[in-house]
Amino acid sequence: MKRSQLSIMNRSFTKLNERRSTLIYNEDTINLKQRVQKIRKNSVEHLHLLLEKAQENLTANGMEVILAKDAEEARESIYQLIKNEDMIAKSKSNTAGEIQLSEYLESRDVEVLETDLGDRIVQFHTSRPTHPIGPACHLNMEKIAEVVSDKFQREVKAEPRAILETVKKDILEKLSQCKVGITGANSVAAEDGSLLMVHNEGNISLLTMLDLHIVLVGIDKLVPTLEDAMSVVKLETIYATGKTVPAYMNVVSSPSKTADIEQILLKDMYGAKRVVLIFLDNGRSRALEEKEECLWCIGCGACIVNCPVYTTLGPDFGYLRHLGGRGIVLSHFIENDEVCYDSGLYQCTLCGLCTVECPLEIPTNNMLEDLRKESVKKGLYLEKHGEIRENIRKRGSSFKQET
Amino acid sequence: MLYFRGCVVREKLPQIEMATCMVLKKAGIDYDIVDGEECCGSFLLRTGFTDDALQVMHKTSQNLKDETILVSCAGCYNTLKNDYKKYLGVELDVIHTSQLFSNLIKQGIIKPKKLPVNVCYHDPCHLGRHCGEYQSPREVLASVANLVPMENEKENSHCCGAGGGVKSAYPELASEIALKRVDDALQAGAELLVTCCPFCVLNLESEKLKVIDLTEFFCLCNSVESLENNISKEDILKKSPNTQKKI
Ligand code: SF4
Repeated sequence: MKRSQLSIMNRSFTKLNERRSTLIYNEDTINLKQRVQKIRKNSVEHLHLLLEKAQENLTANGMEVILAKDAEEARESIYQLIKNEDMIAKSKSNTAGEIQLSEYLESRDVEVLETDLGDRIVQFHTSRPTHPIGPACHLNMEKIAEVVSDKFQREVKAEPRAILETVKKDILEKLSQCKVGITGANSVAAEDGSLLMVHNEGNISLLTMLDLHIVLVGIDKLVPTLEDAMSVVKLETIYATGKTVPAYMNVVSSPSKTADIEQILLKDMYGAKRVVLIFLDNGRSRALEEKEECLWCIGCGACIVNCPVYTTLGPDFGYLRHLGGRGIVLSHFIENDEVCYDSGLYQCTLCGLCTVECPLEIPTNNMLEDLRKESVKKGLYLEKHGEIRENIRKRGSSFKQET
Repeated sequence: MLYFRGCVVREKLPQIEMATCMVLKKAGIDYDIVDGEECCGSFLLRTGFTDDALQVMHKTSQNLKDETILVSCAGCYNTLKNDYKKYLGVELDVIHTSQLFSNLIKQGIIKPKKLPVNVCYHDPCHLGRHCGEYQSPREVLASVANLVPMENEKENSHCCGAGGGVKSAYPELASEIALKRVDDALQAGAELLVTCCPFCVLNLESEKLKVIDLTEFFCLCNSVESLENNISKEDILKKSPNTQKKI
């Protein structure tokens, strides 16, 4: 990533740190954090049970549920649902990023309309998002104005309102032609059969009103109840944005319906006619067996904001939209040792700061240290490290010769 | 007491060994240097070479049992204290130089002299976050200099960039991270940056700010034995503390 973009990203991160600084140490947040730790650890421990319950309850509520064991299955299921569309609308989703959904759909001639402003800008700029919640934090206003001007072939002032209005107008026009909305979900309540989505722009509300609403979600997002889900997303919001609540929380538990006429159930009032939920495994079951801690994650991005390596290398340190060290751990389960190595397995200094920053205290450095053992077994290690090992073998010291 | 120097001190920063020995002498502590000292295993553990690590740890542990082991390196400290227990089930009695000095000051065995120099302390990850030792080095430093707080300290300390084998494999990345850490100290108004891990010392060295190991600084401030008497602040800032040997 370019140095100039990195420094803009780091400036955004500094602002974020300032916004969060008092909030994350206040008593309410600490209590919430402890509650969420219990919820997440417990949910991950009983993940398969929750998944069964969720399938049952979501279906009973009128949603369709598909289980996808890997990225390919998920992409294919989605494609089958939308293959007659020219364009679909989408909200920000790290899970969609994980299966490279947009790239896939574009390759099959389905245009993807990103409806999140930051994502739309990054889509125009064709760069990689740098923060799970603030994807365009590596671009400054001048750059964004330039990218938007280029896109629309007319001068857009380097002024936030002008940029917003231009992009919004275009999105709304296109959205009126879309029949399908694809979103993620921040948390899924298994016992209630409900999906909880968080956003600030209002775009997800719009997508839930299209004919078909497809929700792509990792199975690790499950928790028992809607109250639990609410706690999770509140904490995520605090750590991701420095605000206590987001502008919107949408709960979807069924397609649109009414029973206002003699209690007769009628479907298809204002909102989606169909809601299809795709549960993505993609290595998560494997992770569950070997390193379940990496599934506690609530996706707040706090681990990268102060990471010495991420703030130096940017999104190259990580795996697709799973940024930073925890993303590298996940890449081992989603893909394999090679991808894990290439994602930056050995670039981590194992300093442990991300565990302190993480509201779930995920022990990422320990997991990476463990994964290095497996990597070495496969012969994947750095030449320089191999040399030092030789030195230690020969003369009990990291260094080559007596100096 | 057994002094385990660690390979960086042994081969790159022998002045830390000298300084340590001088303080030990001054304090009247009987000590031995580990005969045929080898690797503690830290590097091998962090880079995934577990089999090699276990071999070397096994060997090293034989030399270290039933003694109090003094270490200069935060990495050795963490490894001997935690990993020998985790991997070999061996509980070693390990003490870091900063802890020893802090005790010596508290017991009145060494009466520190304070110099009017503003120093920042960089927490090595292995000593701080991984072992929870934030206080001892600060106590020692506060007794010999003006200890100024800096951004990102203690539990939230930022890594110098050298850890986990990054310095050897990605030297540029390590240096870039180090410069940010040095900036933290400069912003706090430090005239000197002190730490107590030889890996950190080597990685943090730059034109921008003088970096020195706690032991060496402590020794200089207290003008122990053969070092110059009545050393001044200027002497310390002038002195090139890290006369690093070429590899
Ligand atoms: S690992 Fe922790 S800090 Fe990082 S995104 Fe997940 S919950 Fe947030």
